Amino acid sequence: MLRSVEMDPVEYTLRKRLPRKLPKRRNDVYVNMKTDFRAQLARCQKLLEGGGHREICVHGLGLAINRAINIALQLQASSQGALQLAANTSTVELVDDLEPEDPDEAAEPMTRTRNNSAIHIKVFYPEPQ
Amino acid sequence: MSTAKQKMRERKLRNQPASVQYSSTSQTVESSSQNGGDAPATAGEIHDGAPSDIQKSTDKQKSRGQQGGWHRGHQKDGGGYVREMPQHITGGAFAMARAAEVKAMLKAISTRTGSCQLFEALPRHMRRRAMSHNVKRLPRRLRDFASRLREKSLQAGSKKKKEKAKCRSRKARRRHGNLLLEFNRRQRKNIWLETHIWHAKRFHMVKKWGYCLGDRPTLKCYRPCYRAMSTHCLLMDLSYYCCIELQGEEDKLLAALSQLTSKEAGPTFAAALCLSGLRQGSVVVYRAGGFPAQALGPVTFLWRPRTQGLTHRQLWIWAHPTMKQDLLPELQIVCQCSEAVVPPAVPVITPVDVPYTAEPQHEPAKSPKAVKTQGTKRKCSSKDPSEPPAKKIVGDGTRPPGTPVTWRSCSTGIVINDLTMEMVRYRLIGPQSHSVLTETLEAATDCDASVKLQPSSLWWPEHCKDDDKMGLHRQQADVFKTLKDLYSTGEVPAGIVLGLTVDDPRLTIPQKKVKALTCVKQIQEEDEQKRRELMLRGVPQHCCQSLLWEQSVRDNVTENKISEQELNRMKSDVLVPGSRLSPIPPQSRIPILLLHQPGKQVGHEMSSWGAGWDLLLPKAWGMAFWVPLVYRGVLIGGLNMSLKHSQNKGSPHFPHDYPDCPAGARFQEQQEIELLNKFKRRPPAKRINYIKQGCLAPFRCPWQQLAEEWELITREGREERKRDDQSGTTTHSDTAVEEKTTHINISETKPPSCFTVLRNRKSLKLLSGWCKPTTSKGQRLCRINQAPPLDHTAARSFLTPNEMSLAWVRFSLLFKGNPELHAMVCVPLAEDLKLLRNKSDINCPQEPVHKNHFKTRTKNKKKGSKKTPASSLSSDKTVEKESELPSTSEPNLSAAEDPPTSSDLVFGLWPDPLPSITSHCSRVTLGWVTQGDFSLSAGGGEALGFVSVTALVHTLLSQPSEHRGLVLLRNPSSLHYHFAKINIEV
Repeated sequence: MLRSVEMDPVEYTLRKRLPRKLPKRRNDVYVNMKTDFRAQLARCQKLLEGGGHREICVHGLGLAINRAINIALQLQASSQGALQLAANTSTVELVDDLEPEDPDEAAEPMTRTRNNSAIHIKVFYPEPQ
Repeated sequence: MSTAKQKMRERKLRNQPASVQYSSTSQTVESSSQNGGDAPATAGEIHDGAPSDIQKSTDKQKSRGQQGGWHRGHQKDGGGYVREMPQHITGGAFAMARAAEVKAMLKAISTRTGSCQLFEALPRHMRRRAMSHNVKRLPRRLRDFASRLREKSLQAGSKKKKEKAKCRSRKARRRHGNLLLEFNRRQRKNIWLETHIWHAKRFHMVKKWGYCLGDRPTLKCYRPCYRAMSTHCLLMDLSYYCCIELQGEEDKLLAALSQLTSKEAGPTFAAALCLSGLRQGSVVVYRAGGFPAQALGPVTFLWRPRTQGLTHRQLWIWAHPTMKQDLLPELQIVCQCSEAVVPPAVPVITPVDVPYTAEPQHEPAKSPKAVKTQGTKRKCSSKDPSEPPAKKIVGDGTRPPGTPVTWRSCSTGIVINDLTMEMVRYRLIGPQSHSVLTETLEAATDCDASVKLQPSSLWWPEHCKDDDKMGLHRQQADVFKTLKDLYSTGEVPAGIVLGLTVDDPRLTIPQKKVKALTCVKQIQEEDEQKRRELMLRGVPQHCCQSLLWEQSVRDNVTENKISEQELNRMKSDVLVPGSRLSPIPPQSRIPILLLHQPGKQVGHEMSSWGAGWDLLLPKAWGMAFWVPLVYRGVLIGGLNMSLKHSQNKGSPHFPHDYPDCPAGARFQEQQEIELLNKFKRRPPAKRINYIKQGCLAPFRCPWQQLAEEWELITREGREERKRDDQSGTTTHSDTAVEEKTTHINISETKPPSCFTVLRNRKSLKLLSGWCKPTTSKGQRLCRINQAPPLDHTAARSFLTPNEMSLAWVRFSLLFKGNPELHAMVCVPLAEDLKLLRNKSDINCPQEPVHKNHFKTRTKNKKKGSKKTPASSLSSDKTVEKESELPSTSEPNLSAAEDPPTSSDLVFGLWPDPLPSITSHCSRVTLGWVTQGDFSLSAGGGEALGFVSVTALVHTLLSQPSEHRGLVLLRNPSSLHYHFAKINIEV
């Protein structure tokens, strides 16, 4: 702790804000890393089979991209080829707050933006020709 | 049915004279005559109740009963009645015996006591509803008696009850003026908020802190309210929070206020962003120079943005009403404001006097004469034109007229102003609260040119003349409009402030309730830019200014409010029904302030949950904003929900979770009394025996004792360690700690300092790093924090200043279970940690049932109380003598030195003083839970509470690194321990 004070006169606490929430339809699934994988997979399957949706959208951000892809592929594999995938990638802007922890309280808090990748996979039954 | 009939018959027969048997010999005749002589006495005793007015029926029954008697005897004897037939009868003796019997029967029938028998005596088919109410429903022969009884009971009742006050007709009572008088009378003791009547119709109201507040809705809507908080919007009325205004030079104010806070506990009043007025700040206030002890409580504060070239500043401090009585004198001392400024002779709020004029009229009069005289007075006074008509109380109407609200200091020039109830504060919680606001409020429209030209007493037309001010207003309106493009309230920087002037929201109220939602639309490039600006930098500084800060504007707006009635008349005059009023009357422009409330900021889960906006309004406008907000589909929460809100956020709630503050201590005392009374209301056999459960203090948390005991343990431990260091062994297990705790004797401790709550940011961060298990994910976090690893030297240096402190901790249960209020936090033993492998709640450890050593004492007490009062003194002494026996035989009880008097004993509760609390159970106690419930956000049991810092560090030291930060929770009413994880969030 002493060392860090020498390096940087003002200490900051990093506080990440939540990513922007986008309006959600019934058939949107936002994948996260906290919920159990099987539960998320089951939720998607339920939407496709029981929910009567012809297509669902699986969204993953950052670390969850991997899991989103996994879910989509699992869905496809378990449907014996009936489902098709269409993946899109995008960049999401995230906001971090930096709060100063200096005793003099003169430093301004800072805000910085950074980008993170996101994936949006459309899982759908193809229209019969 | 047959059994019921039989019972009834038996009851009737019980009162009959004994059945008569003829005896064969003359001696028996004599004995029978004796028998006959006996009969009246017994019959007279027992046969109390049979009423005489139903002579016929009883006669019939009697004869039947006799027959029955004969019949029964005959059967038992097996038809021996022919054999026992007497040969002859002595006429005189026989007749005398019968005469005596008849006399007894007649007497039994004629005497009567008690009234209930009257109705019971009637056969069932003749009973009627409300017979006791209306005598005419009784058969005529019983009426006399019933009416006599009724008179008697009425007389008895009137002696006890007070004379009923003369009640006016409902129509008269509901007349507007009279209703107002009545309302004003009712809010003399406890102040009503402006939304009181709205709340009173829908909420369970409680009288707390001098206010009438809604506790929880009468509807069942716990879950809907939670859902509203996490997905839509929940509205609460926080107008009971007290606002204190400080005015003065900036440096002097800061110098004065810096005594109350410490920079170690986080940003203070002087934090750069808050000082510029850009953000709302919050801080825990201490007595001057008292940090870290002597805390007063948390406050939020807001600086008025600087006006150019002026160093004169204005500051609002918002505090909880229970804290105000501590905070205000402290502020006066710090600012050296002793000189009270007497309020002007004609206060702005005229109706201050009204409740006092109304007072005598509505008090229940002691005698009918007084009622009469007062009644005439009332009539006179209401006709008297000089008397001001009853007015609705606006603001703090209950303050005695002479009470000073302003204090000035000669030396520093600081002015303290008590603005309690001068403003309305609403809190909107939830991610959609910004869309509710944008839908409800509309930035004020400009005045007409014609209005502008002529001078006006209203503030808005004057305001419109100034182009600079209108420019600012347009900018503020612009910022407010960009709020619409947000998707969630948590997106903006925490704590931003926006000043605004809006139109009267009653003008745009929808016909039906609608749910306000964010509209999804493609926004323009330009708007997108603005939104980014708002998200990153917040509101520009000049837009934080609001005219709500000006006393004159506030008063002007309050006085010139259009009444509901007037507004409705104007609406009905509009040509097209339902269309908007135009032009908008110039009175209906209101300056407001919007303060962003950050949601959950600590910890890694559920971040920014429960974010929202606070809406500040001038007084008297409360209902004008409340109903339109409600029409936007928000749910309303009471005190209960605000507690749940802070619980889900993991933040301490005032005054529940501030045991070191005077207000918090008062609250705990009150809570203990309430819980104890509730406990005592149950019959003793149905109470939980907390002694057997091993729970020393189920209704309170003896923090002071806990901190003292743990301090003693460490001191002893340190001495031991010194000895150990020489021998080179450093084995420290919690069993060793346990052994030490058993030897505690409280009397040995020196007069100790008070416990404190640890609020030092750096210490808390260090502690929170230590609490995490040092494996996998936790390791990474530890590296980032660069905390020194937990070892004995680090622990010792950490504990030296914090020996008597408590730390605010969140517990999340690993498995099932629902923690309750005052659940104990305990250290798991080494064997307990092995049970963790099963990953289920079934194998969690259990507390063995404790022995109730006070059983004999409570029994003795019972016996003693049954004795005559004269001997109670001596019996008490014997009880005390006896009670000493078990305490000496039991080592655990040795701490309780003087046995309590038997009057303190409540069955199932430990009497004061408590023995050592840390070592009372099989697991060592660390602290207690102050809020515990099933958390809907976490989907499991969660609890918040305090643990002793010393105890926590000791526990962490002794735990293996993979199980670090695991504790056991046990509810006071259960023997079952639950595993929980400690989180300290900074």
